[in-house]
Amino acid sequence: METFLELLTGNTLTRLVFFPALACLPLLFFSKSGEAKGAKIYALVASLIELAFGLQFLAAHLASDGTFPLVRDGKLPWIPTYGIHYDLAMDGISMPLAILGIFLVPIVLLGSWKGIAKSWPAFGASMLMLTTGVLGALFAYDLFLFYIFWEVMLIPMYLLIGVWGGERRIYAAVKFFLYTMAGSLLMLIAILWMGWTLRALNGGVWSFAYEDMLRLDFPVHQQLWLFAAFALTFAIKVPMFPFHTWLPDAHVEAPTGGSVILAGILLKLGTYGFLRFALPLFPKAAEEAQPVLVGLALIGIVYGALVAWVQEDMKKLVAYSSIAHLGFVMLGLLAIDQIAWEGALLQMVNHGLSTGALFLLVGMLYDRRHTKKFSEFGGLAAVIPVFAFFLIFSTLASVGLPALNGFVGEFLILAGTYRALGWPAVVATSGVVLAAIYLLKMVQLTLWGPITKEENRNLPDLSLRELAALVPLCVFMLWIGVAPEAFLKPSRAALDSTLTAYRAAVERPAVAEATLRPAEATLRPAPDQLSRQEEGR
Amino acid sequence: MNRSDLISLLPEMILSGAAIVILLLDAIAPKLRRSFLALAILATGAATWGAWVAWSRVPGGFGAAALSWNGLLETSGVTYALSLVILLATGLCLLASQGYLWREGILTGEYHALLLWCATGLLLMLRGTELLTIFLALELFSFCLYSLAAYHRRIAVASEAAIKYFLMGAFVSSFILYGLALTYGATGTTRLAEVAAKLAASEQVPVLASLGLLLLVAGFAFKMSIVPFHAWSPDTYQGAPSPFVAFLSVAPKVASALVLFRLLEAVVQGGSAVTVHKWSVIVATLAVLSMLVGNFLALAQRDIKRMLAYSGIAHMGYLLLALVVLDRGSLLPVIVYLLAYVLMNAGAFTVVSMLYGKPGEQHLISDLSGYGYRYPLLGACLGICMLSLAGIPPTVGFIGKYLVFLNAVGDGLVGLAVLGVMASLVGVFYYLRILYVLYMKAEEKQPEGLLLDVWGRTAAVVAALGTLALGIWPTGLLQWLLEATTAK
Repeated sequence: METFLELLTGNTLTRLVFFPALACLPLLFFSKSGEAKGAKIYALVASLIELAFGLQFLAAHLASDGTFPLVRDGKLPWIPTYGIHYDLAMDGISMPLAILGIFLVPIVLLGSWKGIAKSWPAFGASMLMLTTGVLGALFAYDLFLFYIFWEVMLIPMYLLIGVWGGERRIYAAVKFFLYTMAGSLLMLIAILWMGWTLRALNGGVWSFAYEDMLRLDFPVHQQLWLFAAFALTFAIKVPMFPFHTWLPDAHVEAPTGGSVILAGILLKLGTYGFLRFALPLFPKAAEEAQPVLVGLALIGIVYGALVAWVQEDMKKLVAYSSIAHLGFVMLGLLAIDQIAWEGALLQMVNHGLSTGALFLLVGMLYDRRHTKKFSEFGGLAAVIPVFAFFLIFSTLASVGLPALNGFVGEFLILAGTYRALGWPAVVATSGVVLAAIYLLKMVQLTLWGPITKEENRNLPDLSLRELAALVPLCVFMLWIGVAPEAFLKPSRAALDSTLTAYRAAVERPAVAEATLRPAEATLRPAPDQLSRQEEGR
Repeated sequence: MNRSDLISLLPEMILSGAAIVILLLDAIAPKLRRSFLALAILATGAATWGAWVAWSRVPGGFGAAALSWNGLLETSGVTYALSLVILLATGLCLLASQGYLWREGILTGEYHALLLWCATGLLLMLRGTELLTIFLALELFSFCLYSLAAYHRRIAVASEAAIKYFLMGAFVSSFILYGLALTYGATGTTRLAEVAAKLAASEQVPVLASLGLLLLVAGFAFKMSIVPFHAWSPDTYQGAPSPFVAFLSVAPKVASALVLFRLLEAVVQGGSAVTVHKWSVIVATLAVLSMLVGNFLALAQRDIKRMLAYSGIAHMGYLLLALVVLDRGSLLPVIVYLLAYVLMNAGAFTVVSMLYGKPGEQHLISDLSGYGYRYPLLGACLGICMLSLAGIPPTVGFIGKYLVFLNAVGDGLVGLAVLGVMASLVGVFYYLRILYVLYMKAEEKQPEGLLLDVWGRTAAVVAALGTLALGIWPTGLLQWLLEATTAK
């Protein structure tokens, strides 16, 4: 068995997860003032190295036919007394999100170059720690480990909002923290309960392994409680209506970098949690709760869009649009349909790209004018044409213009939802229309029309650094838009097997008390058949 | 008395011997006062070794318990582990105190001597298996605690705190003594094992014994500052010297928790289902009250020492969750929780004692504004301790909470566990407030008259690193404790 150190130095998930955390340490030695530049460059280089590691890992495992297998690091005992293992795995579901997360960090750092005025070393360290938390949560294959990483994400984000945020940053930061924690603590109790049940059925042997948990069959009434605990946690994170109220506050108060990372990757962990944990672990309860959750997702789509429409602040508009877009993702997931799931997963990535770009653009405008109000702008297209180009491009991607990424995701979600659920797809389509209205309103109020404010006449256009942050995002928006298959294919098998297992579990007769299915009965490949991590050694 | 009896008493003898030496040196060579710290630390280290020697002589290895001194003292893995926890608290307190005593000009040998005697009493009490021994040990350390609370006698709040603590403590001592007498009257013995046997043999627990045990439980609940016996702790913590509170707020609770366990074990072991249920309802009530009252009152505090006092009440509430359904399995979460509590709470008070220069005044939380940047090291230590108190991974505070809640869920107390996590959510709010003033508020107050000595910083760093290290890598600790607590 490999040791942790061997894993850390190889081309492994462990390296991906812990490199950013280790890279934080030297940042402690940058003095708080005067060395901002050094800290900036150091953090950027570290995030680029992490990106290189991510691509190296991808290159090593992406099959020539474009599929992505389940890749695991060696399983190490961590707290064997309680059967807790250090167990990381990446499959087609977590891969796109992880790569997106890694990809966004250098962009965020570039985008925050000027906007972050104080304590850059701490800012860089928070970003890197956040990367560790996010990647760990995406890769964890042990429920205890997942919970740890899930909580580890909280502190850096709390600091990002609270230290570098706007006027009401404290309120927003605490609200963010308490909302997320409230859900996750209930999830912890659910995990503990599952742990005891598993132990009782497993001959007194503790385990929190994801695969073992998948073998647990709970009676429906118990499933409902457990599902409620998990679903609440993830619904808060997504966020679904009516648990969304923390999000606008967090987004508006967070610095640009914080908003991008929040929208780009943190929220996705909520939807990922549904796909990875809440739905597969408690299929019968999910089936029961489906109508309610679909209703909430639809409300989220329409409500988010309507509220976005009436905003007078650019950042708030984008924040509410996030609620609507993630409502789409949730709808796709709840449709329990292969096409919808593929669309939902792609849409998670799309939203990260286009909303990330929008937040960056808002931040760039804010750096120049120190306001985000529509009433302060107008006619900017003539002053800063390059900025205008990127704003229009990202907006169109977000609206779902064909040939850009948003269209593919939304189309697949709507098609799949229509096939599986019928009328909810019709309601959701109104969300697409509304999105066009409010996003184009944003473009119109900022870019078109006469220049109403004198200060706007001499705004400088985008700098090279800002272009370096935006261009990669836009390249991917276009790429996914014209050639989506390359992005859909790696996830297809993983989604398919999850869906098959889910459907089989729903079909299975209900049990009267909790039972543990034998290992070979699972539809997931058993651990020894999984392609194990060999590279780099 | 034979040789093995003496060896089993090695840690206590080392500690009290060192205390006498320090007291003598203080009279003979007052110039050596600055080096008493080294002597006391050395004694603590030697006592640690002594505890190991005493434990390693126990026949039967892990989990076995040996009785010495005619069956009055127990030596086992459990007492060894908790002894180490108490010695750790003693060491941290000694390190934290040096700068404070020097700054306030009250550095004398009595402080160290009293603290070491205090540790002696605590070690004796947690090993005691007989009620009179327990009571004597309790009085030994209580008197030291009263004196230490009043140690900074020039400031009025310290005297006030000590008087309050003393009056309440004396009152509770009489509770315990009365309970002891009643228990003796009902069962004819003061040895807990025999009390348990007597109670198990009788069909119904005699009213006298029930009343006696109830009084005893109340007495130790007082020492652990459990609601409704908690009223002394905020006032006492606020007035007593801050580095000493690092000890006062943790060490007596460690020893009292084990005694409480023994008392409950005596009544529950072999008891009828009705008795067991009755007692678990009592403990559950105390736990719920402590969690709720502690957390909600902590929310309203503006003084950091009072806030930590109320948070301590809440923490003892979580701890009690493990004792609601009593079995040997309850010991592991209790020990881990106590260790976690010692590290994070002592760490927090250490930093507090260094960052507040005026012991006679209120220690307002807002006074820390922006200190996270002025004092990066101490700020980070305090921050880590706060996260640990809030139970956020990867800290040992989370491991402790995890084990307590795991135990509660395993005992079928899902409702209580949910209540517990919701109460701890309230806790998160006020712990985060410390992080907020440290890092998110502009500095308001120029620090005055602070003395950030190397010893105090060492204590803070040890506590914070220990908090993190045991949170990330609890493997060995848990394995060791599991073997020490389960096998018998």
